[in-house]
Amino acid sequence: MSIVEIVGLRKSFGTNDVLKGIDLQVKKGEVIAIIGKSGSGKSTLLRCINGLEAFHSGNLNVDGKPLIHDSVTAMRELRQHVGMVFQSFNLFPHLSVGKNIMLAPSLVKHKNAAANEAQARKLLDRVGLSEKFNAYSEQLSGGQQQRVAIARALAMEPAVLLCDEITSALDPELVGEVLRVVESLADEGMTLIMVTHEMNFARKVADRVIFMHQGLVHEIGEPAELFANPKTPELQQFLGALHS
Amino acid sequence: MMEFSFWDIVRNLLMAMRWTIGLSMIAFIGGGLVGLLLVLLRQSKSAFMNLLATTYVQIFQGIPLLVQLFLAYYGLGLFGINASPWVAASIGLTLYTSAFLCEIWRGCIASIPKGQWEASASLALSFYEQMRYIIFPQAMKIAVAPTVGFLVQVIKGTALASVIGFMELTKVSKTIANATFNPFLVFSCVALMYFLLCYPVSLYAKHLERKMHVHR
Repeated sequence: MSIVEIVGLRKSFGTNDVLKGIDLQVKKGEVIAIIGKSGSGKSTLLRCINGLEAFHSGNLNVDGKPLIHDSVTAMRELRQHVGMVFQSFNLFPHLSVGKNIMLAPSLVKHKNAAANEAQARKLLDRVGLSEKFNAYSEQLSGGQQQRVAIARALAMEPAVLLCDEITSALDPELVGEVLRVVESLADEGMTLIMVTHEMNFARKVADRVIFMHQGLVHEIGEPAELFANPKTPELQQFLGALHS
Repeated sequence: MMEFSFWDIVRNLLMAMRWTIGLSMIAFIGGGLVGLLLVLLRQSKSAFMNLLATTYVQIFQGIPLLVQLFLAYYGLGLFGINASPWVAASIGLTLYTSAFLCEIWRGCIASIPKGQWEASASLALSFYEQMRYIIFPQAMKIAVAPTVGFLVQVIKGTALASVIGFMELTKVSKTIANATFNPFLVFSCVALMYFLLCYPVSLYAKHLERKMHVHR
């Protein structure tokens, strides 16, 4: 059963067509890695799935419900099922780590304070930051901030987690700690859709890899097959450029 | 002819200064409330509300405060309302202050990174919740220093209320200067008083600004 269904998705910025008809089905528990050159539309596709970008035509269903960008209630409902982690972390700097995690569950899901705090502490423990409950984001390293951001997204108990180049802003030595958390999520059966430049990670964790090129899904397949035998010249060139 | 001692001059000026402070506070509180409403309209997704607020700000930023005070004073008279200088000055200064505060605050809100909006939207927060819990608390921190700094402009702006007959510091000083034939002494005292009123405020604004920078 598909948890995310995308049919004929199109989007343009002005006269620039960014997505030219994307079809994609993501099954529950599947881990999808989206790769491609910058400007290929991979981030835009990801941002369409939780409505940060509006699309112009096509259909997008999450958990069987259609995404209706103009309906405030529909978007609020949808976003409770779709978590997102950003390249630039985007923690709320005026709130402690604990409050960053507890804010949305208390406001949106009206979770009671005790249960909310227990959950936040559990999630922090899970990302290896249990001692940082009262810290502020400015006191954390990039890798720690990103792990808090993951915990914050998980606190809403999403059915799908979107990761938008979540290690691209990190120093090389901090990438590993974040990827390990993501890998553990994948192992536990979380549905993940991630835009990434970490090819080794995609190869290791993803069930399917999508290569996007000029606003289209250019090639799609299991990582072993796709990386070993790229069929199209564009993917061959893309992978070749990474190795040289 | 009655003789004025130096103390008489200072005492009368100090009494008048109370009205300057009072008027400043009315302008600041009134302007703050209206400014807050305007800045909310500016953030709203309705194009009409946005245009309304923008037009308001453009108009009252584009007309000299002096002329606004004349308009408030004589304009209310046209509608058959016998406006006292108090009411006219309060309205004129509130319009002026609200327009400027709206612009200051709008700038502070605009300076909050887009990622804060996106992250809070992704967590299913409504527009009101985003504003209330994410954007406003951060924008307010940035806004404190320029807002207090603008208070200095408002205090000095109240001097213009003298032209519609409001008996604040400047108006009283003119009267005293005429009576004592010693305008330089009187206006020197007035200048000192405005300075003593404004300088601590701008010092405080500087202090707040420095504190903010250390923290971020």
